[in-house]
Amino acid sequence: MIAARHLSKRYGDLVAVNDVSFELAKGEVVGFLGPNGAGKTTTMRILTGFLPPTDGQAVIDGHDMFEEPLAARRSVGYLPESPPLYPEMDVQGYLTFVAKLKDVPRARRRDAVDRALVRCGLTDVRRRVIGALSKGYRQRVGLAQAIVHSPPVLILDEPTVGLDPTQIREIRALIADLAAPKAGETQHTVILSTHILPEVEAICRRVMLIHRGRKVLDAPLAELTGGGRSLEQVFAQHTARDVAVEVSA
Amino acid sequence: MKHVGTIASRELRSLFVSPVAYVVLTLFAVLAGFFFLSSVLQFNEYVVRLQQFQLFDQLKELNLNDHVIAPFFGVMSVVLLFLIPGITMGLFAAEKANGTDELLLTSPLTIWEIVLGKFFAAAAFVTILVALVGLFPGLLFLYGDPEVPKTVAGLGGLLLVGLSYVAIGGFASSLTRNQVIAFVLAFVLLLLLWMLSFLADLGAAGGAMGSGNWLSALLRWLSTSDHFENLVKGLVDTADLTYFAVLIGTFLLLTKAAVESVRWR
Repeated sequence: MIAARHLSKRYGDLVAVNDVSFELAKGEVVGFLGPNGAGKTTTMRILTGFLPPTDGQAVIDGHDMFEEPLAARRSVGYLPESPPLYPEMDVQGYLTFVAKLKDVPRARRRDAVDRALVRCGLTDVRRRVIGALSKGYRQRVGLAQAIVHSPPVLILDEPTVGLDPTQIREIRALIADLAAPKAGETQHTVILSTHILPEVEAICRRVMLIHRGRKVLDAPLAELTGGGRSLEQVFAQHTARDVAVEVSA
Repeated sequence: MKHVGTIASRELRSLFVSPVAYVVLTLFAVLAGFFFLSSVLQFNEYVVRLQQFQLFDQLKELNLNDHVIAPFFGVMSVVLLFLIPGITMGLFAAEKANGTDELLLTSPLTIWEIVLGKFFAAAAFVTILVALVGLFPGLLFLYGDPEVPKTVAGLGGLLLVGLSYVAIGGFASSLTRNQVIAFVLAFVLLLLLWMLSFLADLGAAGGAMGSGNWLSALLRWLSTSDHFENLVKGLVDTADLTYFAVLIGTFLLLTKAAVESVRWR
């Protein structure tokens, strides 16, 4: 469903992403971990077609992001780190606008918007102006715009950052729900970027760890936490070892 | 190109829920009323004076088009120069400040659709402004007999000037995420463009180089004023229409390149 092949992104001398490759099968939910500035956001921006990679290839649902950008982008729902909202629009108007942008056919547009509103718990605020909503609700609107066109691939960049504990729990439950849909709903393949480890343990079955632009770990969650270790220890070990290697080198 | 309408209608709606549109409309209407009144009064005084001195030959040559409508349109084109940057400053800068550029650029639409959608939205607003200007000469038709084709050509010229300003203002907005910078940049660019004809006059007057000098001719051609004045005089020439088309097209191309440049970095 998602294939990243030798992705690299350089800004002058700075290497933000360095030869990262992975494949995700349909329905997989992957936690994309790493310290701040590790290259998570850049990798996600490449996968969503916002940035072109310096090297390598990103293929979404069989469409190469470079050769068939429109088809590839149609298959992705993306929630950037700060939700891309127009504060002056109301929730329903905004979602309808996004549905048009994402090529949802006119006949199905109203249904698609309603479904996204229900799934993200936004039906009560559908007429409210986005700028007047709380941060938790705005995050939900951000999620709703990512799923409004039922894309096979969902890419979520730190969806719970800056929320209070109750809101975090709600958003997590929502993402877990998106990853395990009921009959008739779209099965999403999800990449969830975060540096909050319990979030990964709660939702994901596979973990990828990126550090200094390189993928340093890619394994099923069960395998990592199998030996009685917590994910936190694994995380610390991998990000620290890299530093140690560099110091000794 | 099916997304052009989607982008344009969202942009227009945003414009009308923000105070900017109303501030601009109000200021524009007030200024238009003031300048129209002053050119009518001036005309009136002129007529009275010519009658007092019994200069009937000159009196015969007076007409509403050249002595009321033309100066009025001329002033309004300068007013547009001040107000259009206010309309265009948010076109692209606001998207970047909101982070919504990330939504647009990861959606299945081309950059041309974004650029044209935004241009058409601002163009629609400017059309409203120009229509507002058109109301005033409309009053003259109730009390006098200005020439219709000449008036319409002048109004068309004003619209073309407005659309060029929109293309330039949009370009300024695509260069920054800060709306104040977008406004100032657009304003300076428009001012320079407008002043090119003064520069050309200086060059022509500058003896040594003579009036036939190519640089001053080039500056004169680049400036909007001459092309606009031809239209106000009722001279609809393809050369002038081409000028506006080239100007608008060039800045739309530049805008497209500026929007696309996020991807080059």
